[in-house]
Parts: sequence; structure tokens; C-alpha cells
Amino acid sequence: MSTTPPTPVSVSRRVLLLSTLATGLVACTPTPASPPPPDPLAALAARARADAALASAIASATPALAGVAEEVAKVRGEHAAVLQKEVDRERPPKPSSSAAPTTTAAPTVPSNPKAALAEGLKGASDEASEVAVAVPRHRAGMVGSVAAGCVSLLEVLA
Amino acid sequence: MTQPSSAVPPSRAPLPEDTLAAVQAALGAEHAAVWVYGLVSAFLPATFDKAIAEGATAHRACRDTTGRLLGAAGATPEPAEPAYLPPKPVTDQASALELVVNAETDTTTAWRAAMERTDAPDVRRIALDALKSSAARSTRWRKTAGLTPLTPPLPGQP
Repeated sequence: MSTTPPTPVSVSRRVLLLSTLATGLVACTPTPASPPPPDPLAALAARARADAALASAIASATPALAGVAEEVAKVRGEHAAVLQKEVDRERPPKPSSSAAPTTTAAPTVPSNPKAALAEGLKGASDEASEVAVAVPRHRAGMVGSVAAGCVSLLEVLA
Repeated sequence: MTQPSSAVPPSRAPLPEDTLAAVQAALGAEHAAVWVYGLVSAFLPATFDKAIAEGATAHRACRDTTGRLLGAAGATPEPAEPAYLPPKPVTDQASALELVVNAETDTTTAWRAAMERTDAPDVRRIALDALKSSAARSTRWRKTAGLTPLTPPLPGQP
């Protein structure tokens, strides 16, 4: 039986740390746009998770699209996993808060599911392409492959 | 993806040795792809003419862009080999399709490697454009050839 007390301060400490890092990034970034997210790969991972969830919902709701939607869900799910792994590698999450961002509510299937998938993939490819040009070398190949994977999925949908 | 998005200036700073080697290797893959498209045209019926022309044109354009990049950086682009040895003999439509898919896969691998060996945004962009367009063509050919999966999750990942 462990006697370690719960650590309610850990969350706020983490938030504080992240906000400090974000401020540091703003100061170093040549283009003073809106404050960038702490890790650009975290945004790509979140987008991949959302795409995968939408594609899964479409696969169950639209039998005619099941095959391609499942392919999108599988590939985007793998994108989410590799991106999140790299995010966590560089900035390990606290063991207590390791639960990935939980957006468990199943997404609503849009009226034109195929167009919605395509639009999502186009946006994801563009976003990953921008990130791939700017990240350090050890991330560039992975992010470039994510962009290429999205472009390939557009061909799967076509 | 078909627009010549990579205008290369007449001269640029020399490329570091590792970048140079990776870009020359990618150029080698482009030379091989141009050769492959020439070879397979003899084994594929006329219905493939358009796809073959598109692929051959894209690889020639990429080869030329890469040659200009190397020239601008003061390097000599490696020339094409007189011929290439396919991993398997090409004897019919199926083996021809397999070889085209192979060639496209090889170029995605070479360009992803180049992305990881440069910090220069112009080289990254050229590599990323080539990686994405090869990945898209690879998926189109896989569809045509009935190969599954239609795309790897991370095209270019060795």
C-alpha cells in the first residue's frame, strides 16, 4: 500500500512550465504571429487523432465508404501515434497525467462524408508541410512522411 | 503538386557534405525513375500512356530542378547510369507495374532521407515536394495494380 500523497500541484506546475516555454518560443521566433503552440507536432498529432476519429465514425455510418474510411482511420491513427511519441520523447509527460488528450465523444458524421475526409486530409497535408520545412532534422523526415501520407490518402479517396 | 514550386536561384551557398550526398543520392533515384518509366512503357498497354507520361514528366522535372540546385550550390550533378538493373526481371504487365511502384517508393525514401540531412528551407521544400508527388503517384499505381495496402502510413520511411 503506497502512502504517497496525491500531488494536486503537479498540474498547475506543468501549466506554468508550458506557459513559460511558450513565452520563450515567442521571443525567439522571427515572425511575431499569434503565439505558437508549445510543440508544433502536438497540434499535428491532435489533428491526426481527430481525422482518425472522424474517419472511423464515417466507416461505421457509411457502408459505401467503409473501405477507404477505414484506410484513412488506420493511417491517420498511426500518424497520431508516431507524432505523439515524438512529442512525449522530447518533453516527457508526467506519469500521473499521461492520459492523452481525451476527445472521446464520437464525431458527428457530416452530410458529405467523402468531401469532409478530403478537406481534412488536404488541410493536414498543408499543415504538416509547413512544419516539415521548419523543424530540426531529426523530425523533418517523420513530418514530411506524414504530409506525404495525407497526400497519398487523398489518392486513395479519389 | 504539378506546378514548378521550386524555383532555384542561379547561385546559392554550397551544401554541407552530408546534404550534398543525400541530394545526389535522390538525384540518382530520379534518374532511375526516368529510366524505369521508359522501360515499362514497352510492357504496358496504351491505356497506361497518360499515367506513364505524367510520371515520366514529373521525374524529369524533378531531376532538372535537382540538377539546378546542385549547380547553383557549385556542385556537379551526378549523371544517369546508361541502364539500371531492375530487382526482378520485367516480362509482363504485372512485373512492369511492380517496377514502377518500386521506383516511386525508392524516390520517396531518397527524398525523405534528404529532408533529414539538411537545415536549408529551400532544399527541404524541393525534397518535400518530390516526396509528396512520388507518394501520390505510388498510390495511384498501387491502385491500378491492385496492390494493398494502397499506401504505407509514412511514405519514404525506410
